[in-house]
Amino acid sequence: MANTLRLYLTCIRNTLEAAMCLQNFPCQEVERHNKPEVELKTSPELLLNPVLICRNEAEKCLIETSINSLRISLKVKQADELENILTKKFLRFLSMRAEAFQVLRRKPVQGYDISFLITNYHCEEMQKQKLIDFIVQFMEDIDKEISELKMSVNTRGRLVATEFLKQFV
Amino acid sequence: MASFERASPALKEILLRIYRNHSHNQCCSCHYSAEKPIEVDHHLYEFGSVEYHIKSSASAPQLTYLSISTPLLTQGVLLSYGLSPYTTQMVREISTDVLEIVEPATEGYQLTLRLDFSKIPRGKDSLKVITEVSSVQSIILSSQLKEMLQSVNSWDASQGMYKPIKLVYHPREPFYVIRQPHKIVAVFPMRFKDYSDVIIATSFFQELMDVGSSEKWAKAPPCNWSPIPPAELRGEPLEDLSTNGGFVSFDISSRHVEGKRLDKTVWSLLNFYAYVKHHVKCTRGFIQRRMRRRLESLVEVLQNSSLEDDRHIRKFQENAGWQYMKKLVKLSSKSKILKRSCRDFTRKIMRIRFRIKIHGFGRFRRRWLTMLKFSSSKGYTKLE
Repeated sequence: MANTLRLYLTCIRNTLEAAMCLQNFPCQEVERHNKPEVELKTSPELLLNPVLICRNEAEKCLIETSINSLRISLKVKQADELENILTKKFLRFLSMRAEAFQVLRRKPVQGYDISFLITNYHCEEMQKQKLIDFIVQFMEDIDKEISELKMSVNTRGRLVATEFLKQFV
Repeated sequence: MASFERASPALKEILLRIYRNHSHNQCCSCHYSAEKPIEVDHHLYEFGSVEYHIKSSASAPQLTYLSISTPLLTQGVLLSYGLSPYTTQMVREISTDVLEIVEPATEGYQLTLRLDFSKIPRGKDSLKVITEVSSVQSIILSSQLKEMLQSVNSWDASQGMYKPIKLVYHPREPFYVIRQPHKIVAVFPMRFKDYSDVIIATSFFQELMDVGSSEKWAKAPPCNWSPIPPAELRGEPLEDLSTNGGFVSFDISSRHVEGKRLDKTVWSLLNFYAYVKHHVKCTRGFIQRRMRRRLESLVEVLQNSSLEDDRHIRKFQENAGWQYMKKLVKLSSKSKILKRSCRDFTRKIMRIRFRIKIHGFGRFRRRWLTMLKFSSSKGYTKLE
């Protein structure tokens, strides 16, 4: 299981290294405007082919690149209903605080759980390798955090159930 | 139900304050320094539509009147007005010396009690008596359920089975009690407003089933959860059986209702809904706290990556400056080095010779005592 995760993350890392070649490019349609082309998608010549990396049916990563911006959308695995609500809560919590992360998108792309938008300005302010490390580390941390949350909720439930049944004994 | 504790905390505090004031006055009366007895008139409102009225007059400070209004357990359509003799008997048994039921009760209340603080024993027992008096509301509710379980015959000859007894404490939270030959089954239809509450509660019910079925908890009543109504509730109205949280049932045997265990069992059953809702709320708070902590650690990773960049760049710049200087020094020719060293030496000599330093003389010397250069390499003369 860990092997497939390693391969999946390595594939994403290599793709990001290749895709994160961004440069400043002013908007072709409106003068004095500078917009991330991957969001607008008005000029096909500025867009590269999107890459979809699937670990399995439940987990996938979509990387869309343009000349001045890059969008990464992640779908996190959700084994049961409890993981489903925990993932939704946690990722929504992070998305609402997107300004703290700078590269996080407030609303995920449809069909995915969370999205990042990296522009050429981010690449100028931060190191490219560090950004890629952050994205990959984020994916690992999310999985770990959801698993820990689920375990904590079940453990709490067990303790509370024990306390309730003690009253009858 | 105010809380999981039987005694109302606010009522206990007020009664303790009145009792301490009364006992202080009694002690000081022989020294003629007693304080003036105070008039008390408190209205307390607690969660679950429970209302208390505490009244004490200055003319009879040892007597306090306590009136209680609480929603009573109803059997579906049949509403119960007032308290049954069994319930009043249970209330009297709290403390026969201290407590007396006043009839008729104060208007707007179901029960009025007269408390005689002079009859409360001194010392630690006083706290125990006051705590028992403060738990009068829980006694009223528990005695109602006990009476229903003992006296109601729900045997339905036509169907050959016991009919479920529907008990309504809170309008939206009815539960069922089904008497069977060797046990009593309590069924709780669970409803929640939020979908995430349903999931958290469902995982709790599954843990409850797992824990209850283990050997260590064999003495506890077996617990079952099912998403569909159990067979015992067949024939009940559809609106009562439509839930989103499933049905939780407890099999109460004779062992759980013997002696003092009856009181605990009844109180646990009455508080089951509140218990589950409290657990769901605390779990949501726990998830929120954990997410907030994780957010801080995730943001720190990104900030550190930016900060490390700055440190590296600054170091690089410093290093670059020093290396540049080094390069500059290395690239200068030997003749230039020689000229520079000579110049430095001459300056040193001049400094030694001209020990007397006149402030401003250097400027004067530069302006007036320098020889003009007629042949300038630049092709012009610099004017001052």
